[in-house]
Parts: sequence; structure tokens; C-alpha cells
Amino acid sequence: MTRRAYDDGRTAAYNYAYLDEQTKRMIRRALLKAVAVPGYQVPFGSREMPLARGWGTGGIQITAAIIGPADTLKVIDQGADDTTNAVSIRRFFERTAAARTTEATAAATIIQTRHRIPEQPLAAGQILVYQVPLPEPLRRLEPREAETRKMHAWAEYGLMHVRLYENIARFGEVTTTYDYPVAVNGRYVMAPSPIPKFDNPKMDMCPALQLFGAGREKRIYAVPPHTRVVSLDFEDHPFRIQSWTEPCGLCGATDTYLDEVVTDDRGGRMFVCSDSHHCETRRAEGHHGPMLAAAASIHLVEKEDAA
Amino acid sequence: MTLAVNPAQLGADPAPILSAGDVSRFYGERIGCAGVSFDLWPGEVLGIVGESGSGKSTLLRCLAGIDRPDQGEVRFAGRAGGMLDIFSVSEQERRAMMRTEWGIVHQNPRDGLRMHVSAGGNVGERLMDRGDRHYGRIRAAAADWLARVEIDPGRIDDRPVQFSGGMQQRLQIARVLVSGPRLVFMDEPTGGLDVSVQARLLDLVRVLVRDLGLAAIIVTHDLAVARLLTDRLMVMKAGRVVEQGLTDQVLDDPQHPYTQLLTSAILSA
Amino acid sequence: MTPAEMIRVEGVSKTFTLHNQGGARLPVFRDVTFSVRAGEALVLAGPSGTGKSSLLRILYGNYLPNAGSIAIRHGGEVIDIASAPPRAVLEVRRRTMGFVSQFLRVIPRVTALDIVRDPVLARGGSEAEATEKAQAILARLNLPERLWNLAPATFSGGEQQRVNIARSFVSPSPILLIDEPTASLDAANRAVVVDLINEARARGTAIVGIFHDEDVRDRVATRALDITAFKAAA
Repeated sequence: MTRRAYDDGRTAAYNYAYLDEQTKRMIRRALLKAVAVPGYQVPFGSREMPLARGWGTGGIQITAAIIGPADTLKVIDQGADDTTNAVSIRRFFERTAAARTTEATAAATIIQTRHRIPEQPLAAGQILVYQVPLPEPLRRLEPREAETRKMHAWAEYGLMHVRLYENIARFGEVTTTYDYPVAVNGRYVMAPSPIPKFDNPKMDMCPALQLFGAGREKRIYAVPPHTRVVSLDFEDHPFRIQSWTEPCGLCGATDTYLDEVVTDDRGGRMFVCSDSHHCETRRAEGHHGPMLAAAASIHLVEKEDAA
Repeated sequence: MTLAVNPAQLGADPAPILSAGDVSRFYGERIGCAGVSFDLWPGEVLGIVGESGSGKSTLLRCLAGIDRPDQGEVRFAGRAGGMLDIFSVSEQERRAMMRTEWGIVHQNPRDGLRMHVSAGGNVGERLMDRGDRHYGRIRAAAADWLARVEIDPGRIDDRPVQFSGGMQQRLQIARVLVSGPRLVFMDEPTGGLDVSVQARLLDLVRVLVRDLGLAAIIVTHDLAVARLLTDRLMVMKAGRVVEQGLTDQVLDDPQHPYTQLLTSAILSA
Repeated sequence: MTPAEMIRVEGVSKTFTLHNQGGARLPVFRDVTFSVRAGEALVLAGPSGTGKSSLLRILYGNYLPNAGSIAIRHGGEVIDIASAPPRAVLEVRRRTMGFVSQFLRVIPRVTALDIVRDPVLARGGSEAEATEKAQAILARLNLPERLWNLAPATFSGGEQQRVNIARSFVSPSPILLIDEPTASLDAANRAVVVDLINEARARGTAIVGIFHDEDVRDRVATRALDITAFKAAA
């Protein structure tokens, strides 16, 4: 790795991409093992980072270990590129790794994410890095770590279905809407981090490499490109993703994950794409949603978008 | 005169289902249980009696595959035929057997139930463990088993924390029996229950064991429970078996000094 | 053992040892030897305390003899109750040898009718046959019909005893051991019991019994065995 423009006089005290090379090597070794055993949680020596655990330190450490001068980084938080957390993480890598950053999904080589997978299909060569708060899908059902390890080792996953059973028994359907458990490559059951179950199908046979980092829990796992990822379900209660009765209010998309936005204090509300970049791209391409003009009038979007 | 006991006359299956040979477990210098050997036959109910600390529960944990004996072996009749040393197979295989071939009803329901999972989920777990993936059929099986242990199937979605002690024990029994095990272990199944609730539970166990042709090993310090439920009795003292035989014979004509003390210490069994 | 012999007792001795009373030894009898053929009713005679009940319990496998053998004809086999494993003894009790005592061991929550039906079902009878036979014998023993579908736990001593007798005679075993069956029964029911015993014997059941009531004894016995002949030296 060449040492270059990151040394702008302000950050010289740090190694490239903040972490020292030994730590990066340790993380890369964990990543290699994770890729070799899809869905298996590999322990790693999670480091202190200059932000609190639970703010994405696992994802940041993975990104720091894999980023290079040729990479372009996109960071999304709640599907958006412009939230505080996304902006801070992007700035962190701009300063410590002199990273090129982008909001365009297709232009990114590394996408660090919390909560979402971009709507635009990912391509071979891209890497999706997830920030994972709770990597153990069995934890809420079995508190003992030694026991959950045995359950993974021997694929004793009946308990996962007990959880789904409980949901259907109580609410008539599986009400788990995010962090919905999946079976990877027909073997390990994996927590896909708090993405909506809407995004689960995007993980299946995805051409991009998917890496998961849990900083506080000190676990790394991975889904290699073109790997089967199946959401758990029952034969008579098959897995279904969320759907909405109305299109995105801004761009009119009917096939995206929508967030509810409150527009005034009189009960007004609208549904808009959670993936802000995708929505903007569609509007730039001339797609219009039914609420676009109204949104522009209250400055939810720039005037020229509404034009 | 020939005195022949022809095994063919003694039930359809001539092979024991469980065979313990010199089972011993030590806690440092102290003996948990030592030198316990016996055969258990399909359909037979064996009682293990003795006072607290006599090694009953230690022995049960060895027999049920929870704790490895320091000495001796526990062999179980495999479905394919032949006896399998349950501690010579991998832990994975042993755990699989523990979930399907036999089951344990614990003294404390908290050890045997998931207290925050509904009754239906508790009963259905073993079915889901073995790969059942049809919600409707799992639920129907759970409702059926709740009825068989005399729990109103209308309470299928209630959690065990909302159940009485007697109901929790019956729920444990349903949870274990749903997968069709051939052997059931019970550790003081009526401990901590009111006398009237005990009677109901005992009767239920008696009927289920008889109707399903189960083999059972019941640990109890209550000789009345032993007399009502068991065919055979082993009396334990300080980790060793001091007397064993037909239940009514051991209780009515005890031979060992300790058994005589035990049977005379109660008013009637 | 000749083909007609159902029970052959040889050299049976019994001494109780009370370990918790200084190891006191209570010899009961020594070297008891006799046999009972099908269709015979052997009455054990002798004053109380000579071990009649103990002998009956030894035959049933309930007490353990110190020496000797108890050969029982069980189907096509001969089984020594004194040395057979528990499951063999239980199988003999299930199919071959019944015990009629004064006391009913009450099973919680099981109705009188079901208690009496049970032996018929255990021997392979149909539900309908079991119910029919059970109702007939309960009626014959004058147990009020309103009690049939109740559990006998709350019955009087005499009522419980009649349930017990009904259970024993509804489908009589090839061998019946009988201990004081009429102790708390009135004359009418006593007569029914005598008839039941004689009917069973006439159908080939081998009977060993203890009867305090002289009249009952005389009407039932085909042979008597005085147990005092085997009195063990103290």
C-alpha cells in the first residue's frame, strides 16, 4: 500500500486508514476465514475506534482493513447518504485514507451501510460492508455463548423456527420485519444486521461481496458473491417482503422500500424511497411521484427536482 | 423339573433398551455414584429411591447423557439394532439422541421449559428440531399433546409463566413425548406439588407410560410415588445401589438395613 | 412337575431379619413343600401368626424366600418366582397369577368400572366385552350402579373390597391366590364370593387361599395344608 496524499500535515500521526498494519492484517485474516465459511461468525480483536461502539465500529474496521487508494467509498445510514453518521464516517475515511467518496451506488467500490442494501442492484467487484450491532441470531433465544456455538457447529437450528412459530401464533404472521434470519449456503443461520426483510432477497446470489462487522461483539462474517441466502420460513407461511399500497411520493417508484415522512403537524404524511440516492436518480431521469410538487412547496426537495 | 425363563414370553422385544455397566461418577474425593449396573427393558418403569444426596440425580444425569461418567458405560439400543455406548459417540450425535430417542422431565419446570415461549412453541420445538417446517401441522400436534396431558388446547398461546406448577410439569411431559421417545427420565416429577395435584400427575404418567409402551426411569424420594408408578426399584445410599428388585417386594419385604429404615420411616407407602 | 400341576413349592423357608432392631431374627417356616393342580383349591390352615399370609405373598413374589423354589406354570413355560427377574414376575402376574386381598390399592381418578374392565382388556378382550363382563360382575356383587362411574377412593371398606373381588374374578387367572376375601362382607355377598371361587375352580383355576370363616372354608376347599407342620425353630 502506497503512503500518499493522506499525509496532509494534519493526520500524520495516524497510519493509512487509521488502523496499524498489524491490525489490518488480523482483520483481513478474519475476513478470509469468513469468506471461506459463509455465514460463520469469526471472532476478531476489535479495536477502539474514535467513535463509540454501536456507531458502526465493526463496519469501519472492515472498511479500514480493505480500503486502498484506488477505492471509491459510499456510506449510507438509514438508506440515506446525508445523515450525521454517514457524513461522519465518510469524512473519517476522507481524512485518514484520503478516500474518494461518492453517493452514486454504481460508482462505489466499497459501500458501508447500516440498515439498508441499495435499491440499485450491486455488481461484481463491489463490496458491501455492513455495520452489525447484534451478530448472533440465536442470542435472544439462548443466552449462553457456549451453547449457541454448539448449536451453530451442529446446525441445531430448530430454535430459530420456534421464534418464527411464536410470531405466527401471536400475530398470524411473522412480524419480524428487520434483521430477519437467513440460512447461508444451506448451512449457517445468520443475522443479516438490521436491514428490512425487504432487502433480504437482494442478498441471495448477489454478485457483490458482502462483509459484516460487529465491533462491540467482536465478530466478522461474510457472504461471498453468488451465494444462496434463504430467509427462514414455514411451508404454509412462506417468507414475504413488505409491500406498500402507494408509490413513492417523490419519484413514483413502486418497487422500493418506502419510509413514512410526516409533512406537517395536521396529520399530513407521505411515503418516500428510503434510498435517497436512488430516488434522486429516478427524479433526474424524469420520474414523478404524486406528492413531488407538494414536497417542493414545503422545501422537502429542491425546486429544480420538482420542475 | 426344568425352570426356564423364555424371553419370548416376556414381551416382544428380547433386548434391553438401556444397559448401565459399572456407572460411576466422582466429585473429587467424594462419590457421586459408584458401580451402578442394570438393564432396562422396553416398557419397564424403573424407580430410583434414596434420600437427598444419595446419588440418584447424579446417576440420572449420567444415564441421560448429560454428564459423562468417570467410569463405566451407558449403552442404548439404537434404532438400527445393537447397543450404542452413548458416551463413545460424538457430542453432536448424543445431543441428537437426547432430542429424539429419550427425554427428561426435570424437577424444576424452569430447567425443562422455555418460560417465555408459548405452550405450543414449547411442545413444537422438538418437531422443529428434527426439521418439521409446516406450521399448521406443528400446531395441530402441539394442541393434540396439550389435550393428552390435560391442558386446555385453548391455552396453546399462553406462556408457561402463566401456568400452575402442575400444568408446567404436564407441559414438560408433552414437550418430551411429542417426538415419540422410547425412554423418559423423570427427576422428582411431583416434587413441590400439592398432594391433589400430585395424584393427577401420577395418574397421567401411569396411563401415558402404559399406553405408549414407554420405558421410564423415575428418580424420587417418595416411596408412594415409586409404588404407584414403577415396576422395579433400586435403592441408593451414599452413591451405591444397596438393594434392587420388584417394587412391591423391595417395599414390603426389604432385605437391606437401609431399605428397612427407609420403609419404616413412613406411615404407609 | 406333572402337566396338571400349576404350582410346585419346594423347600421354601422364610426368616425375617429386623436389621434396625438389633438384627432380631423371626423364623416363620422351613422347608415348605407342596403342589397345586388345576381345578384344586388348597386352603392354608393353622392359627394366626404361623405365616399363612407370608407364604401366600412369597408365592406371589411379594416376599422373598430365604431358600427354595416356587415353580409356576406360565403358558407353556415353568417360571421360578423366587429367582425370576422382576419383569418375568410381572408378566406372570399379568397373565397367569392373580392376588385377591382384602385391600384395594386405589388408583387415583380411575372409576370402579374401569378398574374391573382392565383385566379383560389386558387379556385381549374387546371394549364391549370388557364393559359387559364388568357390569355383570359388579351387579352380581350388589355394588350400587351409581358407584360404577366413580373412583373407589371414597367408597366404604366393603364396597372397595367388592370392587377388588370383581376385578379378580371378572376374567379369572389360571392361578388365584386369595387372602381373606370375605372379611368385611355380609352373608349375601359372602355367598356370591363363594360361588365365584367355585365357578373359577370348576373352569380349571388353581386356588391357594386363606379363609378365617369356617363356613366359607368348608364350601371352597378341596384340600387343606396345615402350615404349623413347617414351623421353624426359633
